[in-house]
Amino acid sequence: MAVTLSITPTRFIASSGKLDSQRRYIRKDATAPDLKFVMGKNMDVAGGGLRYVNPNGTNVDDGSYNGSFSGTAGVGVKV
Amino acid sequence: MSGFSASNSRIRVVETVNSIDETVFDTNDDMPHIIGTAYVQNTTVDFNNLTETRAYIGQECVGEVIETWTFTFTPGFFTYSRTTLSGTYNSPSYYPSYTSGSYTPGTWQQTTTYNPSTYERDPVTYSFDPCSYTVASYLYNVDAEETSTVVNIANLPSDEDGNTVDVDFVIVQATGSRTTNGKDPRFDQALPSAVPVKTFSFQGSILLESSGKANGDSWLRRIMSVYPSGGKLKLKIQESAGQLTRGANDQAFPHIAESRSTYNFNFKVFFGRFKS
Repeated sequence: MAVTLSITPTRFIASSGKLDSQRRYIRKDATAPDLKFVMGKNMDVAGGGLRYVNPNGTNVDDGSYNGSFSGTAGVGVKV
Repeated sequence: MSGFSASNSRIRVVETVNSIDETVFDTNDDMPHIIGTAYVQNTTVDFNNLTETRAYIGQECVGEVIETWTFTFTPGFFTYSRTTLSGTYNSPSYYPSYTSGSYTPGTWQQTTTYNPSTYERDPVTYSFDPCSYTVASYLYNVDAEETSTVVNIANLPSDEDGNTVDVDFVIVQATGSRTTNGKDPRFDQALPSAVPVKTFSFQGSILLESSGKANGDSWLRRIMSVYPSGGKLKLKIQESAGQLTRGANDQAFPHIAESRSTYNFNFKVFFGRFKS
């Protein structure tokens, strides 16, 4: 039978385990993110080349790219 | 100590690990969550054929083997020969009476022979002329071009009042395949495609095709991007081709007319927010 709510000294479980203190729920965290969510377009092409915008917002060009696209950094989340 | 607290519209769950409390859930944090899903079926991504231009670069020499001979002409001439006919002496007659003799003088006869002229060809000689004549020469280039198409493929989620809800991020789960295998204009082979054969997920943009020059520099990129903008989910299709010069004069790109690629995708799109 599913547990609606369980509270013990070492663990909290609610809604049949949908909320569980032993799981890691990702949260927005700008200071020490574990990973980043890309927020939009993060590649562009020009001059036969490619610009890739890293999740941290830095541009990586392939040497042929001659455009001016500026993507945005992803949003950091913490696990 | 691990615990749960609920107060002032805040729910917080803490897990204690090695005597350190770690927040695992806190409604005061911005927590990513999915607020809506959209299914977009049979989306076509089409990249047209590349084009080429022929540029006049000047006259080019064409070599040729030259055959040479001369003639020796010997004009005709006459030759003559004469035949002398001796005179004849008629002896006198002594009987019945003396009569004097007579002399028939000699004569000559000339024969004229004409030797006709001759026209004799000397042995043929051969030589090579590296620029016997010139022809117009051309250089072919794949045209540089930048193409971009943006289409709306879905509406963003709306609230119970029908108002569009802004989303913070989009996660796309895609399945699809290339339905037209565009060829590299130089070679009888398809452009490399980066699309997996199975379902794949991406955020933002994805590289579909690319090609490089002989030295490795990129000259062709084809990408697509899926992102929210202006209350719509957009699909942006982009192609960038740098000028590509043919390695030899007077030779067109043999597969330029087969460089079109098309894809068909099904998207399952997850719209996410950090705040409710």
